[in-house]
Amino acid sequence: MKEEIGRVVVPLDAAADDRAAIDTAARLAQRWHVPLHGVFVEDEELLGLAGLPFAVEVTRRGREKLTQRHVEAHLRAFADRARRELEAAAARHHAESSFAVVRGPLAAALRDRDFVVAGAATRPVGGHFRVRSRWWAGRAATRHPLFLAQRGWQTGGSVMTVLARPGREAARLLQLAAEIAGLGSRALKVLGAADLAAPDALAHWVAEILGEAAIELSTEPAPGEPRSLRRRAAELDCRLIVLAADAAGGLPEGVAELVEEAGCDLLVVGGAEAGE
Amino acid sequence: MAQTQKSRGTAVETGKALPAALLYRACDPAELPFDLAGQLEDAPGLIGQERAIEAIEFAIAMRRKGYNVFALGAPGTGKHSLVESLLQRRAATEPMPPDWCYVNNFTEPQKPVVLRLPPGRGKGLGEAMKRLIEELRAALPAAFERDEYRARRDVIDQEFKHRNEEAFGELQRQAEGKGIALLRTPMGLALAPKRDGKVLAPDLFEALPQAERERIQHEIAGVQGELEAVMQKIPQWEREHREAMRELDRETTGAAIALMMDELRAGYCDFPDVSHYLNAVEADIKENADDFLTPPQMPEGMPPGMPVPAALQEGLNEARFRRYQVNVIVDNGARQGAPVVYEDNPTHQTLVGRVEHLARFGALVTDFNLLTPGALHRANGGYLILDAQRLLAGNFGWASLKRALQAGEIRLESLEQLLSLASTVSLDPAPIPLEVKIVLLGAPSIYYLLSSLDDDFRELFKIAADFDDRVERSPETTLLYARLVASVMRREQLHPFDRGAVARVIERAARLAGDADRLTTGLRAIVDLMQEADALAAAAAKETVGATEVDAAIAAQFRRGDRIYRRLQEEIGRGTIRIETDGAEIGQVNGLAVMSLGGLAFGNPSRISARVRLGRGEVVDIEREVALGGPLHSKGVLILSGFLGGRFGRARPLSLNASLVFEQSYGGVDGDSASAAELFALLSALAEAPIEQRFAVTGSVDQLGRIQAIGGVNEKIEGFFDVCRLKGLNGRQGVIIPKSNVPHLMLRADVVAAAAAGRFAVYPIETVDEGLSLLTGLPAGEPDAEFNYPAGTLNARIAARLDGFAEKAAALARHAEPGARS
Repeated sequence: MKEEIGRVVVPLDAAADDRAAIDTAARLAQRWHVPLHGVFVEDEELLGLAGLPFAVEVTRRGREKLTQRHVEAHLRAFADRARRELEAAAARHHAESSFAVVRGPLAAALRDRDFVVAGAATRPVGGHFRVRSRWWAGRAATRHPLFLAQRGWQTGGSVMTVLARPGREAARLLQLAAEIAGLGSRALKVLGAADLAAPDALAHWVAEILGEAAIELSTEPAPGEPRSLRRRAAELDCRLIVLAADAAGGLPEGVAELVEEAGCDLLVVGGAEAGE
Repeated sequence: MAQTQKSRGTAVETGKALPAALLYRACDPAELPFDLAGQLEDAPGLIGQERAIEAIEFAIAMRRKGYNVFALGAPGTGKHSLVESLLQRRAATEPMPPDWCYVNNFTEPQKPVVLRLPPGRGKGLGEAMKRLIEELRAALPAAFERDEYRARRDVIDQEFKHRNEEAFGELQRQAEGKGIALLRTPMGLALAPKRDGKVLAPDLFEALPQAERERIQHEIAGVQGELEAVMQKIPQWEREHREAMRELDRETTGAAIALMMDELRAGYCDFPDVSHYLNAVEADIKENADDFLTPPQMPEGMPPGMPVPAALQEGLNEARFRRYQVNVIVDNGARQGAPVVYEDNPTHQTLVGRVEHLARFGALVTDFNLLTPGALHRANGGYLILDAQRLLAGNFGWASLKRALQAGEIRLESLEQLLSLASTVSLDPAPIPLEVKIVLLGAPSIYYLLSSLDDDFRELFKIAADFDDRVERSPETTLLYARLVASVMRREQLHPFDRGAVARVIERAARLAGDADRLTTGLRAIVDLMQEADALAAAAAKETVGATEVDAAIAAQFRRGDRIYRRLQEEIGRGTIRIETDGAEIGQVNGLAVMSLGGLAFGNPSRISARVRLGRGEVVDIEREVALGGPLHSKGVLILSGFLGGRFGRARPLSLNASLVFEQSYGGVDGDSASAAELFALLSALAEAPIEQRFAVTGSVDQLGRIQAIGGVNEKIEGFFDVCRLKGLNGRQGVIIPKSNVPHLMLRADVVAAAAAGRFAVYPIETVDEGLSLLTGLPAGEPDAEFNYPAGTLNARIAARLDGFAEKAAALARHAEPGARS
């Protein structure tokens, strides 16, 4: 599987808390012996807004005039800090690194075999309110695996994947999940959706796909309701959930809440453009 | 005229050789009713120190401020062991003092709180606190993992979340409805006009009709106002959320720890300070329950996810819970009675304790756990013995001790704080009340210096325990001394000392006292002698120590330190240092000095010479002129002038100049023990009467011509005896000593033997005239009513010489008068 990955790419922007993502990406790049590439995405919409005469920024301190100069200065500072953090993480994990600043969609900066690791959360504005990461939306335009990292790298805890239907995409999902489980506790829990074959058949199929991978594999039927899935994730001490994207390349229903509440990382594989 | 008196029943006739019996007072075996010293009981304590013992016992009984003790006495008199045994005996009957603990002050951590507990309970409190924290580390996470807690927390979270989402959601809906996008900016949020789901670019906005642009701006301004209002409410909502969470945590923690805290408090309900402390602990745990629930915070700069070494993890955990520890600074649990402490290095820190520091992540940190006790803490409620010289030389030890005694409390602070040198914030622990009796041990000179120079000293050390350096030698004290020998023998596990050995030790004690009728109380020297004699007996495979071993040990002690003495003797023998022991010389006499080098004192003969000439009545002390003479020596020489003036100046003016010198002396000279010898040299020079060089003289003289006692008489006689033996004993040589020194004679066995055989002699004198007659072989002569001396006597010759000087001086004066004919 890892032969399919050419780079580990970390998209960075001014809104996200990226430390966990950078560290996770650097670790993966080092394990897979591929380069680590940071892409700082400047927010075109924000720059556009700053060009309007009435643009203001509302902060906790009050209202401040928003100008392009002001925004660009901030973006440069954020990009510079992101570059330093990326280089430090690469040095720490002995990975090769590069860095680029783009204005516009991330997709333009990605290559075919890129594995994307992004920060799962934006910096909070107030309490639980977050303006959702742009990577949720941006992801729909790519067919790259997207790893949303919101916690520091952990070697403990299990990797959980939910398979909706057998097929090439599910096999790819399973292989990636096994790959990442192998970097940690080696515990992989495969949950088969209700419309999937019988449990024994699922176990057989999973074993066939993974061959003799050195992991602790177990299978079970997936709970029907998102709430039950959250509870199961907590019971399994889940550190990563690996899911297939929906047909449109978006996230399955309830996943954002699942990730937020379970506090674990998320890997989304496949999508509209991935094809079968 | 010779005077006869009795000493120890033997006649002492001045100007005549002393009988050998008076040169050494042997220990009478009849006074020693035993064969081996082991048959004797231990001595009841130190001998002859009743005055000091009474003083110490009085001070111990006086429970009032300032009744501390200064035990003064010469080194080696056994002050320390006596004081310690008296204090131990008393302390064993006194109650155990309390335990003292330092605990955290939760409101002002830099001011640790002190707790007083009955002996042994301090440690118990420390262990109970340790158990409590261990239990809480398991119990609190369990309490916070219960469904009930989670549910309540979820409710609070949901309420907060709902409030936020409602506010922002409404705002977002309102904005969406008006075609406005909510964008994240570097520091907050902004509102932008949208068209077809995208933010309107500036050029497109500018292309809009004026009215449309104004409408959009108006709409945005309206939503912006709402947004600002929401943003301003966020801090308040966050505060309320945090407070609600904290209150829930407090309640949960309180419920989880209540039972444990109640049990702990019940054990200390009789101690209000401890109960108060435990209440503070409970309140702190409620406020800081997070410490028990979350892993410790990693040091700054540590990358996320990096595995934490177990030792670091443990250290971080320990650091988090240090504030609940109990620092038992004084634990009297295992003690019997009151403490008796000896601090051999009394400095500020060893007395009042110290504030130690830990290096943590590159910084030095401290807390109440790093307060360490000093000797005052350990001795509190009992007794503390200190060496005065070390205390005064030690680092601010004396100042800190006085401060503690005056304040009646131990204030534990660093030296930097004491001297106001530290500008950093440090600990200021609560002081501990001090009730201690201090006993300082020191030399008399230190006591007298402190008495005269330090006003506080007299207030704080009202009792002086004065240790005598010698005791009268009587049958009773001799027997006590023998018991002391037996005690030392047993304590030091020496071979048995037989009666002869004990007798020799007692005789040595008299010699060390410098008095045949006294015994030294300087036990250190006696113990050393006994140990060395024991070693010799062991080397000779003897089962008991006899007089032979004691004598050999004494000789070996002298031999080990006599290199300089032997060198001087050798140079006298070779004639490099000129000492004559035969023949006669005008104006020259053998004087005797004592040199002390290391632990050894020996007598050293020295020629003293005098020259006289016409002058104005001055006696010049050459030693003083070249600044080699000390004040006592100068005083002695001035007394000679007084004697000359008194005896011969009444009948004529003293028109002479005289000079006196210690020949071949190249070092300092002090003391007046040579003043008699100097006077004899001067009178010999005046009378032009030769002095027989077979004599050496020691003694001081007063203005009336009476000879007075001096120190070191034994060493001086032995020193001249050794020179005479070196040059050849002729049976006529001897030493002239003051008669008042006869009771001090404890001479070496070879000197006594030579005297008994008539080959050497010791002559006691009382007056200058007795000495002069002995030295010159001429009668001194008694004056008549008009101060004239019989013809042919020494004094007549001196008077005639002085008359001659006076006439010449008068003639010279007449010639010098104005108008006189030459």
